[in-house]
Amino acid sequence: MRLDFVRIFVDSTAKLFKELAGPTADVSSLTMRPSPVAGREVMAIIGLSGEAQGRVIFDMDLFTAVQLAGHMLGEPSPGMTPLVRSSIAELASMAIGRAISQINDNGTRLSMSPPTVITGSNLVSYDQCFETLVAPIHTVYGEVRVNITIQDLD
Amino acid sequence: MHSIDEVPPIAKSPLTCLIVDDSAFMRFHLRRMMDSFDGVIASEAANGSEAIREYGRLRPDIVLMDIVMPGMEGVETVKRICDADPKARVIMISSVSYKEKVAEAIAAGAKWFIPKPVTTEELRRAIENVLSSS
Repeated sequence: MRLDFVRIFVDSTAKLFKELAGPTADVSSLTMRPSPVAGREVMAIIGLSGEAQGRVIFDMDLFTAVQLAGHMLGEPSPGMTPLVRSSIAELASMAIGRAISQINDNGTRLSMSPPTVITGSNLVSYDQCFETLVAPIHTVYGEVRVNITIQDLD
Repeated sequence: MHSIDEVPPIAKSPLTCLIVDDSAFMRFHLRRMMDSFDGVIASEAANGSEAIREYGRLRPDIVLMDIVMPGMEGVETVKRICDADPKARVIMISSVSYKEKVAEAIAAGAKWFIPKPVTTEELRRAIENVLSSS
């Protein structure tokens, strides 16, 4: 696990949430897990590739996603509309894009895939287990968990 | 996100603009910003291929271009647009903003680069600079 990269992802995400999603508490703790804990109703997934590889999964309750998107859009949303889905994807993309930029400027080539947003209930389905660092980000609309898996290529 | 204040016209009306981003949120957000500038007519494209087609059809005064998109990504799209029209005025707006990527975009023909999240004032300044330097 590249802990130095994980720190950049967490700091970048927390900072961006403060900018775009209203008051957000500092990330108090990181937890190492044998696999992602994502399983809430809304997940945004971004793949990482280059000199390291991995993925970042943001997961949150439907209420949190809709409220966060409403904040970004400047208007309330009635539910999980396509625009809400896109707002959550863009929030994740901006957070990881900013981190990727810092990592590249520090000398490691890393790129990201466009985000994929999945919605539903009981979203727990992984074909493989990867050691994952989980950072809870507490917003006024609820918690967003950031699951980060990143390793150097062997 | 950011409040959209009423601002005076940024150029002679009408200014035509093509917004290229795979994100519906970003197209919505940028269009709202552009609409806050008086005398702007904005069109949209959701990917590189669509952008090239719409650019050829509309020949807009300004293009706002994302980088990370499925299929043809932004830098390649800019290169193709600028190869066909060296006078194209493209402003990159991307969350991926490391030095090498910015240099790639400029080498491809982009005239300006704004890291996301973009504010109304940053966008306004970029458009004014690009219009005044061409």
